[in-house]
Amino acid sequence: MTRISLIALGAFAIMAGAICILVLVPQALLSDVQPPPQLAPYTERQLVGRRVYMANGCVYCHSQQVRDPAFTTDVDRGWGSRATVPADYAYDRPHLLGTMRTGPDLINVGQRLPDADWHLIHLYDPRSVVDWSLMPAFPFLFEEKSPNEVRPGDRVVRIPGPRARRGVAVVAKPEAIALVDYLISLKRQYPVADTAAGMRTAFGGRNGAH
Amino acid sequence: MTAPVAGHAPAGEAGTLGRENVRAVAAARGLAPEDLEIRLRADASSALVVLVLFSVAIAWLLIGSIFGDIASLKLHWPDFLTRQGWLTFGRVRTAHLHAVNYGWATAALIGTSVWLLPRLMHNELKAPLVALAGGVLFTLGIAVGIIGVLAGYTDGMEWLEANRYTAGPLLVVGGGLVGLSLFLTVAARRAEHLYVSAWYILGAFIWFPMLYVTGKWPTWTGVESAAANWFFAHNVLGFWLTAMSVGAAYYFIPKVLGRPIYSYQLSVVGFWSLAMFYSLNGMHHLVGGPLPTWMITTSIVASVFMFIPVVATGINLHMTVVGRFGALRYSPTLRFVVLGAIAYTAVSLQGSFTALREVNRVTHFTHWTVAHSHVGGYAFVTFVAFGAMYYIVPRVVGHEWPSARLVRWHFNTVLAGIAIYVISLTWAGVAQGLALLDARLPFQVSVERSVPGLYGRSLGGLILTIGHVIFAWHFWRMIRMPTGAQPTRPPLHEAQPVLYTDEAEAARPRQGAV
Amino acid sequence: MIPSSVPVILATAALTLLAAVVLAWAYWRGFFDNLDAQSRVIFEPKDFQLERPWETPVERLEREMSHGKLVDPAPGEWGGAS
Repeated sequence: MTRISLIALGAFAIMAGAICILVLVPQALLSDVQPPPQLAPYTERQLVGRRVYMANGCVYCHSQQVRDPAFTTDVDRGWGSRATVPADYAYDRPHLLGTMRTGPDLINVGQRLPDADWHLIHLYDPRSVVDWSLMPAFPFLFEEKSPNEVRPGDRVVRIPGPRARRGVAVVAKPEAIALVDYLISLKRQYPVADTAAGMRTAFGGRNGAH
Repeated sequence: MTAPVAGHAPAGEAGTLGRENVRAVAAARGLAPEDLEIRLRADASSALVVLVLFSVAIAWLLIGSIFGDIASLKLHWPDFLTRQGWLTFGRVRTAHLHAVNYGWATAALIGTSVWLLPRLMHNELKAPLVALAGGVLFTLGIAVGIIGVLAGYTDGMEWLEANRYTAGPLLVVGGGLVGLSLFLTVAARRAEHLYVSAWYILGAFIWFPMLYVTGKWPTWTGVESAAANWFFAHNVLGFWLTAMSVGAAYYFIPKVLGRPIYSYQLSVVGFWSLAMFYSLNGMHHLVGGPLPTWMITTSIVASVFMFIPVVATGINLHMTVVGRFGALRYSPTLRFVVLGAIAYTAVSLQGSFTALREVNRVTHFTHWTVAHSHVGGYAFVTFVAFGAMYYIVPRVVGHEWPSARLVRWHFNTVLAGIAIYVISLTWAGVAQGLALLDARLPFQVSVERSVPGLYGRSLGGLILTIGHVIFAWHFWRMIRMPTGAQPTRPPLHEAQPVLYTDEAEAARPRQGAV
Repeated sequence: MIPSSVPVILATAALTLLAAVVLAWAYWRGFFDNLDAQSRVIFEPKDFQLERPWETPVERLEREMSHGKLVDPAPGEWGGAS
């Protein structure tokens, strides 16, 4: 065996081993995890909304995971009643766990903010309802028409306060409505037998910090 | 100033490819190709491929810088450029990440590796047309991916957004062709030993396809997709960008200094321990997250064990320079590469530290992580790439860089820029993280306390962009320059470039400080 | 902090053992002999003979005694412009 082959084989083997340990073995063990009965699969419209969420990169500012209350203050902050577990994400394809909290965690936003109109206003112009927000506005998810062009069935969004649009009717596009439908569906507060058991599921190890 | 650099192999008058260029350079010296110095043959064979890759890289650097500036400004001026979907923060940020990592850094490091490997193998680059085609296809793939993302088409996972059906095939075929050329070059090697830089380059081209397949495997769902996601995203840093950058540093530092690396035994330790431990780090992006605890713990432990390869590589790269820091005054290449190596040690130690749960509970989900990623991706990888380019380009175009002043301005600007960037954003991240940890403070406080640092980051980023424009302008001047009236025909007394023994050479003015 | 999952421990142990065996075999096969020569493969004789402006006269003398008369570097030899 030449030196080259040795290096190539060694490199390949080490990476293959790591893939086994961190991707394949977990995948095999996690495939036993059943979606909780209280968790409904996403509806068609919610899936469209989820794709709008992905297309606009919401995941780069918002996370979707609640960490163990013994570890940190996510629960105290009101982002969930319990830590999230693998089963909570059974229908997520792909995951949207996120790694930044420039904005708040959203895995339970449907519980905290269940009003679709609030979400539509907030998407169109975040600072009209949250004046310190750094979230970008998404006017391109809406149509801006003159008021007499509004048709029956249009979802008109009324922006409150000093940033209200005068002489313009803001109408939500289907993408905006789907996105909001998805956001309102985000609730993971149903009890799982035992959060620690939820983490233990198929194998040992205790959830949480030292 | 435009005189051909004696002993350097120009790219040939018509920018010829591979073997033809070797023949041209040899003919200019009145030699048969086999008799031309190995170094000149190697450089001549890779010249065109290297120049194309570097040009592509610098174009991506400019594009990526603009995307980065826009994204940064949006974070503290959230109503900036919000009318169009393609400019929304969530898409521009991804475009920036792809343009700088897969566009700039990847093309610059592949170009460096394509130049370096023939030199290390003491032979010519094999199948240069294949490498060139591969580079072009790969670049096209990145462009298709970015355009897709801006148009709203994304595969959804961070670092893996490029559409697997449109961009994917271009990336896979392109990367594969480049790899093929490099493997053929290795197979045809004449060097007695395989230098450590070659292991890193080879490793990178074996590892990246494995990572890509793992990350892009279409059946992952739920948290297992998170594991695959961060397995890819973390390992692409260590086994693709870091591997080629460390490989380059292992070459340029001893080469310029004229002394071998401090301890070659340590380089063996460094390579294999990097492979073993880095590969298990990925889950440290998910500390506290909804994954089985054993996976996260494995990654934290592996992250701490990273001390071993980092200290081994650090000792090698730093101790080789110790006692000769004066060289940095004379060599822009060393300035960039040595600082880059220091940044590598720093970012790795920072990473080990950040993986610990106690630290992670402050830093996770904050701007600290973005600052950390720029210490690695910029202060380390980009600096090494700059240093490599300053060394390589004269050797493939046959003349030196036209302006010492532009080199100095470039260095000073990007050094200032990255320092301001990292300090501002780290501070923003810590402020944000501490506020998030205090549940009595509303979320608003975490946002407001980070804003001053976000302004600082924009300032740093804009300064970096200025530095990139300076570098791109200089590069443009460099490749547009004619190589003098006699580009490939040096005067007769330079026909034997190995030893400068005649009076004409002795009378040449001495090398001054740059 | 020790992962308690059995498959993980077994897999890790097996892989570590394999790595150790390969390492030992490589050592026995002589891949780690003469590492110093390997570290010099990137140099040509000329690289050691270049006159480096940052070196002290003592260092230059050492270089000349080990490698022969020093030669001038080409413009831009150290990367960048002069």
